[in-house]
Amino acid sequence: MNATTIGLIAVVIVFVVDIVLLLGLVLVKAFHRKRTERHALRRAGYVATLSRHLASNQHSDRIGEAAADDDAFIDAVIDLRNVVSGGEIETLTGLVDGLGVVKRQEAKLRSRFPLGRRLRAAVSLAEIGDETTAPVLIEHLSDREPEIRIQCARGLGRMQHTAGIDAILERLGIEDPWVRVRFADTLIGFGAKATWPLAAYIRVNLGHDENRGVIEAIRVLGTIGDREIGPVLSGVLRVASDPEVQLAAIEALGFVGGPMAIPPLDHALRSPDWRLRAKAATALGHIGDPSVNRALAARLEDENWWVRRNSAAALGSLPRGDQVLLATMRSADQSAREAAAEALADIGTLTAARLRDEAGVASHEDVLLLEYVIAGDRMMV
Amino acid sequence: MDEQKRVLVADDSETVTTVLVTALELEGYAVDTAGNGVEAYEKGIEGGYDLVILDQLMPGMLGLEIIDRWQQEGHMIQTIMLSGVDDERTVVNSFESGAVDFIRKPFRLPELLARVRQRLPD
Repeated sequence: MNATTIGLIAVVIVFVVDIVLLLGLVLVKAFHRKRTERHALRRAGYVATLSRHLASNQHSDRIGEAAADDDAFIDAVIDLRNVVSGGEIETLTGLVDGLGVVKRQEAKLRSRFPLGRRLRAAVSLAEIGDETTAPVLIEHLSDREPEIRIQCARGLGRMQHTAGIDAILERLGIEDPWVRVRFADTLIGFGAKATWPLAAYIRVNLGHDENRGVIEAIRVLGTIGDREIGPVLSGVLRVASDPEVQLAAIEALGFVGGPMAIPPLDHALRSPDWRLRAKAATALGHIGDPSVNRALAARLEDENWWVRRNSAAALGSLPRGDQVLLATMRSADQSAREAAAEALADIGTLTAARLRDEAGVASHEDVLLLEYVIAGDRMMV
Repeated sequence: MDEQKRVLVADDSETVTTVLVTALELEGYAVDTAGNGVEAYEKGIEGGYDLVILDQLMPGMLGLEIIDRWQQEGHMIQTIMLSGVDDERTVVNSFESGAVDFIRKPFRLPELLARVRQRLPD
């Protein structure tokens, strides 16, 4: 056999293998499409049957036991739970209980494999599980599969199972970063119920495990926004040495707001660390109390650009803050004037000044602002 | 019911339309559906419905947009607005646009049917 023949045979083999692979791919895609279509059809059928049950309690359509193992049935139940409320949810729960759906899904979650089936079971339980499912979800918060752990936390959050808060918190510091963020998000779902368990967690864990869980817990407290937590966040800001923790506490105080949040933020505004000063300025802007206008005005002459910028932006959002910014346009400090002009432009004062100037009714501050901006434009040219 | 009343259910969620069609048909109404805003707008004009149950957030046209256009064009169509967004502005805008009622999603089926019966007395 010469080289040409061998080459020809190799080309034919490669061609045949390619064709077989291509056919295989087409078949797999066709099978998947068919399966998806069948799933959608079954799901629509279940939605129709369940709708008849909901519309008329004595409906005669029986839902076969096979439905309990059918993902399309569970999807139909989940769909309907998002559409109806009140007594209809109880009817759906009764149907699901009667078929033993939850128990079967729990058994699937407890099985060793395959992952897809276990994950599907976790998603189903997160959506339709009840209080009796909570211990199973808590057990699987330490599942070997991160996505299953996340679904279990989500389910506990959906059912507002209070014991789930501590169970989720126990894992906060040891989880992978992306799982930790998802766990923290589920804690937000518990609302004010999670406030004091989170506070206790922070007290115990501050300074440990590189504060991984603590930072996330502070973020959650800020998002929940329970004002009673102000003193706890203030305490964290005072005792923490990790700037990341301090930054998280400042941000959370800004979201929580209230009069108790202002003194620690005012103090942070004078921190030697420019990051804390800049973050505190933004947090004070969020709170919206004009009593801090003077403290923020002082920071318009800060040595750091971010602090000046954030202080000006905060003043732009505060009542009477625009007056402070306009007064700053007469400051001898060019950096302060720049920051003020930028903030005024952001809040529309510049547009208003131009309109007043065009109408011949510009105030002294309008003229100063426009002259400053025109001078800046010339410098840019 | 002597003469069957006609209802149009306009919602892009098949689950919502299935639930409503099933419940309304069991109540004795003749029910038609629309799966997007444009279809709802056109059917509303052409169909001669006694009542339209209209979702606020649909592809093509928003529910409020549809009611506004019907009003501007002089079509007096009795409409119940259905919405998952229940902030004050949406509710007030719905009534100001001419909706006769506003129902939040997820809804209680008996309450929704009672509101439909109130609008379509025998």
